[in-house]
Amino acid sequence: MSSGSDVTSKSTMVRAIMAKDLKEFSRDRFYVFMSILGLVFYVLIFWLLPSEVDETITVGVVGSEQFDFTEVSGRAESEGLAIVEYETTDELKAAVEEGDTVVVGMAFPTDLSNPTIEVYIGPGVPPSLETAMTGIASEIAYAAAGVPPPVSGFATEEIILGTDRAGSQVSLQEKFKPMLAFMVLIVEVLALAGLVASEIQNRTVKAITVTPAKVSDFLTAKALFGTSLAFVQVVILLVAVRGLDNGPLIMLTAVFLGSVLATGFGLLAGSIGKDFMSVIFWSMLIFIPLLIPAMALLFPGEAATWITFMPSYPLAQVLIDVSAYGAGWSDVAPLLGLLALWGAAALGMGWLILRKRVQTL
Amino acid sequence: MPLAGRDWPTERHYDLGVIASIRATELRYSYGDTLAVNDVSLDVAPGEIVGFLGPNGAGKSTTIKILTGQLTPDSGSVTLLDLDMASNREAIQARMGVCFEEKNHYNKMTARENLEFFGRLFDVKDLDADALLEKVDLLDRADDRVSTYSKGMRQRLMIARTISNTPDVLFFDEPTDGLDPVSAQAIRRVIKDEASRGAAVLLTTHDMMEADSMSDRVSFINEGHVLVTDTPENLKLAYGQRNVRVRSRTGGEVEEVVIPMDEEGAGERLRGLVTDDVMTIHTEEATLEDIFIQMAGRGLE
Repeated sequence: MSSGSDVTSKSTMVRAIMAKDLKEFSRDRFYVFMSILGLVFYVLIFWLLPSEVDETITVGVVGSEQFDFTEVSGRAESEGLAIVEYETTDELKAAVEEGDTVVVGMAFPTDLSNPTIEVYIGPGVPPSLETAMTGIASEIAYAAAGVPPPVSGFATEEIILGTDRAGSQVSLQEKFKPMLAFMVLIVEVLALAGLVASEIQNRTVKAITVTPAKVSDFLTAKALFGTSLAFVQVVILLVAVRGLDNGPLIMLTAVFLGSVLATGFGLLAGSIGKDFMSVIFWSMLIFIPLLIPAMALLFPGEAATWITFMPSYPLAQVLIDVSAYGAGWSDVAPLLGLLALWGAAALGMGWLILRKRVQTL
Repeated sequence: MPLAGRDWPTERHYDLGVIASIRATELRYSYGDTLAVNDVSLDVAPGEIVGFLGPNGAGKSTTIKILTGQLTPDSGSVTLLDLDMASNREAIQARMGVCFEEKNHYNKMTARENLEFFGRLFDVKDLDADALLEKVDLLDRADDRVSTYSKGMRQRLMIARTISNTPDVLFFDEPTDGLDPVSAQAIRRVIKDEASRGAAVLLTTHDMMEADSMSDRVSFINEGHVLVTDTPENLKLAYGQRNVRVRSRTGGEVEEVVIPMDEEGAGERLRGLVTDDVMTIHTEEATLEDIFIQMAGRGLE
């Protein structure tokens, strides 16, 4: 047996620590179970979500024979309206009240000398739709009665400001992709934080620092291991949910930077946490707010200004922009830059706090 | 070469006659306003075992952290194997073994995996884990996870890890604390073997009997300051009291007489007591703890 007289190369030591971390991780039933189960569960959820946007509004109508709804129905369908005819007003009202398929009802007059259209609005219909339907009612009446609409002669030109997202609605599946990626990142942050906390708690890191390995080798190994673990798991998820079909290189870049960000927070949680429960507590405390940007994407409209200042915002936005809207490098470059800055800041903070923790053991 | 604290007579110092494997010179270290290590100087020769003794909070752990490169002293210098720690930390640590008091193993890994991992960090090309484990009587449990080990087994594995890189300098912190006599004896044997092959050993222990029997020299530290460093025999001669305890039966009564041998006429008194009535005669000498109390005014606990 002989010990190397030369100083062991840094990469050998970092690799040795990473291999040891992988061995420890693979023997931790909790994190392995959570990682595998989580992946299967998230992929399952994804494929159970609706993949298409169905924004057709079904409108029930009642009218005398003066109204011909057949032609109107054909035209309305292309505008996202389905017209269903009812025999009597009572039947129409019952259908609207039930609200299963028909959300708005319109009873057209039999007496055209006093033309009043009654519009029945179902419970839970948003006010915006209510107003729109009232306007549409007269349009349908004119069209069905074979007379021109009240306003004519204006040529209209549609100019979309910003991204036309009304014309290419995103399915719930697409909207969920960033959220699922974040859920995977949470488990990996927990796993990394658990490993770090256990090194501190069991004082094994002290045993490492009296070998030729430096504290910086230990920190490098942890940062690389955490980033690799998170990156691989998120990539597996994205492959399973066809998240790399659009702009795979951009997606991989974003996931890598997101993994760096998550690793920074993992090092931080592991440095603060003293045992398993406190690691869970700190990881959740740090990561639940980071879910907000991904959650915001589930709702229509632009994200609130304060959300754009969250470290996880650029990651969520890049994932949805690329996978759902086909954004390219030039579109997401500022967001990737911002994500890189957040990642560097989080990793730097986690690194410094963990180094301080190790040095004071 | 001064080995002990400055307040003690120089004739108590020990001339190693060789280049010390461990040399600490006037180390000082403070935690904030608290001076933990105050002008500590210490030398350990190749093949020598030096017991480093002192109560909790005396500065032992801080001194060892400085000597093993875990802490940088505020002032003073550390030279191990003739290399300055400040500029050769990694090269020194490659030839150093540290046995911690806490059993800091990777519990989800087996004993063999633990040894192999540290072997890679030390860049030991031909690590013989089986031989190491056999040395500490753990070969039959080599592939069991450390989480299934008893305290004694973990400590024996710690010893195997400490010597896995065949170090030239060894630090043992309470290596037999809380162990059964058989395990403790096995560990003492390994430490002796390491010293026999030429490694310098600094041994921290609370067990005064162990320090007495294992150490070539002992160093007392109190309140961050080394009080004295010398062989146990010299310390006992210099600071301890030798007694002879004689028990005799006179008529139906058992009589016990203690004769301090350092007193004038002690030999004459002893000869007078040696008759057919003597039941037992015991010699008594001061323990290291007695000497420490005498010097520091407090016990080692």
